[in-house]
Amino acid sequence: MTSFTSIAEKRESGVCVISLSGYLDAHTASDLEDVIKQAIDEGCFKIVVAFAELEYISSAGLGVFMVFIEAIRQKGGDIKLAAMTERVFSVFDLLGFPILFQIFPTINEAEEAFPTEA
Amino acid sequence: MTVPLNDTDFLHVAATTDQLSTIRAFVRAHVSQAGFSELETNNIVLAVDEACANLIQHAYGNDPTKSIDLRIVMRPTEINVEITDTSTPFDPKNAVLPDMRRYFAEHRHHGLGILLMTRVMDGIEYVPAGEGHPANTLILTKLRTA
Repeated sequence: MTSFTSIAEKRESGVCVISLSGYLDAHTASDLEDVIKQAIDEGCFKIVVAFAELEYISSAGLGVFMVFIEAIRQKGGDIKLAAMTERVFSVFDLLGFPILFQIFPTINEAEEAFPTEA
Repeated sequence: MTVPLNDTDFLHVAATTDQLSTIRAFVRAHVSQAGFSELETNNIVLAVDEACANLIQHAYGNDPTKSIDLRIVMRPTEINVEITDTSTPFDPKNAVLPDMRRYFAEHRHHGLGILLMTRVMDGIEYVPAGEGHPANTLILTKLRTA
C-alpha cells in the first residue's frame, strides 16, 4: 500500500507551505495535484513545497510541479522547493529540474525568497 | 556478499498503480542485498518503477485485469531486472527522448520515465512477443561497480 500525504498551510506571509510525506509516484501524484490546485483556487500563488518527510519521488511526481508552474508564474507567483533529502534531490537533479525550480535548504529560506508585498 | 550469485526471484502483480509500492519493495529487497550502493539501489528501484508505471498507464491503459511479471537475475558482473507484459509491443529504445531545455520551455509534464531509465541504468534491452514467447520482455541492466 502506497502511503502519501500532502498538507497545505497558509502562513502569515501569504506563502502556502505544502508539506509532503511518504511516496510520491504515479499512484499518488494526483493527490498532490489536487492539493496544489486547491491552493491556487484559494488564491495562493506563492507556494513552498517541503520535502523533508518525502521518502521517494518518481517522474510522475516531478510532473506535478510542471503542470502548475507556468500558470503560477503568470500570476506573479512561484513554486519553490525546500528541505529535500539527498535521495529525492538526486531525482530532480538527474533531469535538470534545478534549472527551472529554486531549491532551498529550509522552508524558511524558501519562504523568505518571495518578495515582500508593499 | 551474502546473496548467492546467479540467484533469481519473481513477482507477479496486477497492472495497477497501487502495486508500484509492492514492485519497489520487491526490487529494493533483492538489490540492496546484492552489493550495490544505496544510490545505485535507489536508481535501480526508480528505473523499474518508471518502466512499470509506463506499462500500467500507457501500454495497459490502467486495465486492472492485466498483469506484470518481474524477474531479478543476479550475475557476477551485473544485475538484470526482467519486466514482462502482454501489451502491444513498444521498444522504449525507439522513444524520442526529450530535450530538457525544450521540455521546460514548453512546460510539458509527461514523458520523462524512459529518459530517467536511460540515465540511471547501464543497459536497456527489449524483446517483443514472438513465436515461442507470447509476452514482451524489457531487461534493465546495472553493472556491478564494486
